[in-house]
Amino acid sequence: MEESEGVPKDFIKLKSEKLSVDEVSELVVSPYCGAVSLFIGTTRNNFEGKKVIHLEYEAYTSMAETEIKKICRDVRQKWPSVKHIAMYHRLGVVPITEASVIIAVSSPHRAESLEAVTYCINTLKASVPIWKKEIYKDEYSWKENKECFWANSEK
Amino acid sequence: SPGRRRRRGPAAEGGSPRDGGSMSCEVSVLYFARSAELAGLRCETLSVPQQITSLQLWEEIVKVHPRLAVIRDQVVFAVRQEYVLLGDQLLVLQPGDEVAIIPPISGG
Repeated sequence: MEESEGVPKDFIKLKSEKLSVDEVSELVVSPYCGAVSLFIGTTRNNFEGKKVIHLEYEAYTSMAETEIKKICRDVRQKWPSVKHIAMYHRLGVVPITEASVIIAVSSPHRAESLEAVTYCINTLKASVPIWKKEIYKDEYSWKENKECFWANSEK
Repeated sequence: SPGRRRRRGPAAEGGSPRDGGSMSCEVSVLYFARSAELAGLRCETLSVPQQITSLQLWEEIVKVHPRLAVIRDQVVFAVRQEYVLLGDQLLVLQPGDEVAIIPPISGG
């Protein structure tokens, strides 16, 4: 086994092209790990009875990457056995059923990677400066994550 | 004054004396999501007092873009990529600092 395979790596990407589950999960595979846990966020076709045509995402890219790096650092503090982490988020137009976000984490045993993936998506929704616009037939709506601590809870 | 062209020069820019004689500096203001729609642009350089509370900074920006007033209760700033609530927090701004208007986020 190559020595470089043992070094834990973070793979962070914001891109407008279609995300690939195969590509992201392969990034974190490691001969030291018996588990790869995965989260895929896909786009639903409806909201409050309205048909969603597609989603559009934008980001404060440099800060989003910095915040995602902080999430990776936190994961490694909380679950030291975690090996590799990949967090990929799509920007621009995302058609219905396609993935907006893919998170993959590897660890020697499954408990840590399962918990870490949950932490990654929950913290991303609370802290990473990315915005989603839902496009309906005749209107659109900027969404607000309930995890966002400064969002107005009243609509 | 809005829209002044950014100049390269000495680190501290001497502005005209304001209340207490504070200096001003040029910062890059970034607008995202709904705030970009209301302001009608995504980025610009604004001259603001170097020492200013986050709420005062918001008020300076609303003077330039009054339509932003409707989202005052929903936004925070990111100053040099750190979140800052609108309030009494005193900011010490440097020329070229990035100040971003951050509406409620919805990643993931």
